[in-house]
Amino acid sequence: MVLPEDELVEYFRAQMRKDPDMASAVAAIRTLLEFLKRDKGETILGLRENLTWATDCLTGVDSSVAVSSGGELFLRFISLTSLEHQDLSRCKKVMEERGELFLEKISMSRTKVAKLCHTFIKDGAKILTHSYSRVVLRVLEKAAAEKKRFSVYVTESQPDSAGRQMAEALRKLNVPVTVVLDAAVGYVLEKVDLVIVGAEGVVESGGIINKIGTYQMAVCSKAHNKPFYVVAESFKFVRLYPLNQQDVPDKFKYKADTLKTVQNLSEEHPIIDYTPPSLITLLFTDLGVLTPSAVSDELIKLYL
Amino acid sequence: MPGPDKETDLTERIEAFLSDLKRGGSGTGPLRGSAETARETTALLRRITAQARWSSAGDLMEIIRKEGRRMTAAQRVLKIIREEYARSRGSSEEADQQESLHKLLTSGGLSEENFRQHFAALKANVIEAINELLTELEGTTDNIAMQALEHIHSNEVIMTIGRSRTVEAFLKDAARKRKFHVIVAECAPFCQGHEMATSLSKAGIETTVIADAAIFAVMSRVNKVIIGTQTVLANGGLRAVNGTHTLALAAKHHSTPLIVCAPMFKLSPQFPNEEDTFHKFVSPHEVLPFTEGEILSKVNVHCPVFDYVPPELITLFISNIGGHAPSYIYRLMSELYHPEDHEL
Repeated sequence: MVLPEDELVEYFRAQMRKDPDMASAVAAIRTLLEFLKRDKGETILGLRENLTWATDCLTGVDSSVAVSSGGELFLRFISLTSLEHQDLSRCKKVMEERGELFLEKISMSRTKVAKLCHTFIKDGAKILTHSYSRVVLRVLEKAAAEKKRFSVYVTESQPDSAGRQMAEALRKLNVPVTVVLDAAVGYVLEKVDLVIVGAEGVVESGGIINKIGTYQMAVCSKAHNKPFYVVAESFKFVRLYPLNQQDVPDKFKYKADTLKTVQNLSEEHPIIDYTPPSLITLLFTDLGVLTPSAVSDELIKLYL
Repeated sequence: MPGPDKETDLTERIEAFLSDLKRGGSGTGPLRGSAETARETTALLRRITAQARWSSAGDLMEIIRKEGRRMTAAQRVLKIIREEYARSRGSSEEADQQESLHKLLTSGGLSEENFRQHFAALKANVIEAINELLTELEGTTDNIAMQALEHIHSNEVIMTIGRSRTVEAFLKDAARKRKFHVIVAECAPFCQGHEMATSLSKAGIETTVIADAAIFAVMSRVNKVIIGTQTVLANGGLRAVNGTHTLALAAKHHSTPLIVCAPMFKLSPQFPNEEDTFHKFVSPHEVLPFTEGEILSKVNVHCPVFDYVPPELITLFISNIGGHAPSYIYRLMSELYHPEDHEL
């Protein structure tokens, strides 16, 4: 290994620290690109193995779905490129170029999503959102910049109170915001016009994996007939097809350190849940506005 | 000089057409059939293609985009131009298709497709493709009517609302071989249902006209609901004549299948984001005549023309290319329109 494990992890952490606004998947891809540049392997197979090992390391640090999907996407991208060029050194050069390009494109994806979504926020709307999501923040920023008046309810989102962070960020934008208890979602839904949440991962069925409490919010909004919108960048699309909450792999459900230290997982609280596509109205991605049934089509196009 | 004359003539025609469009749907005259509108729009765009000065596909698209701000058919023409350009460039259409994760990974550069190259044959190709589009437009009603026999069975009771030429043709076609009964909701305030009923009974179909308020009451005896629509939105929802949402809800309540007959050109890439603001309103004197002066000062009267019907209430779409589920509409949309043209 050219880049030992701790250096890899350190690089990843440094990326996250440098730009707290960056998605963890983007940081992961950046790290993998760096790894690729320094790798001195002689064969494509060796390269792939090393990259798989590196992705595993990264998921060991940050067990979010996004990191895993970002890593898989990068790996896929490598295999596609390697099919086109036989010579390894040329191949690597092309990969590096394309990698940079890829990073550039996905850094623009949040802006694209914001552009698509802000038209759905009417003047005077009351929005409910869950926990802290940078994409949702960007959407609301854009809507505020378009001089739309709206107010936001954010759930506190225990166990890490990420909702308060979201509320702070919104107050800076001069948007009236109220923090509500996670348990108060049903209570507050009658006042709300629409629900917008981010996603850590979008699965093949068109459902999403997001912070715990999202499923609850989706069920309640269905009961109240309120539209439930999801905003997510396309690199979060993941090749999973869970049929219920149990099907989501354990490695995503719990934080990385918990997985390593705790003996009996059944006593731990999961930090994410799965929301089935029947509860989602529309998904806003940088590939366009999609109905949940269109998501699997997009995934097929990728893995063709 | 023939050149500038043709151009001024062209601009005049476009202006006349657009003002006609705006007035045409306002309820003063008979509501224009959407098929007619689509046909005329396409013919006009063909004329623009033939006459306006342009030397590259990029210019042409700019011109069409400018003129076509208010016409949905322009988007399909834009799509055609892209396809033709790609074909003439020799690359496969697939390569130019909309963004996908795959494209994200393999494309060589930030793709701002450059349509600057000039091809002499492009003009002829584009005009040919537009002609194909026109023929398709003309044949749509017949295509839909041909599928009637699969969906209507003997001794059925069918309900419909208002007047749709597509549904009329559909029902008349089935009437040639099957015997069934039709209930038409009159659809106030313009009461187009009356004309529909007259026309259907002339074709020998047993017809009954009911008031809109009776829809729910009669629904329990209905086997199928077949309606037409003004537009099909990108999420599978409808923008149809007012009263349709009521009809759809009543059908859902009784678990009656709701079939929508809509030709492909009615598909629009818009999403229903501002549900209350895409309405068109007409003069409310149909609802409350001006003679009731006393009341008018104290009351707000609205007369919306269209209704939004969410996709969950619809069972099947019948179009000129066959039957589809509402969740499939996004797929058809991607085949007809290029995502960059969604915002015209």
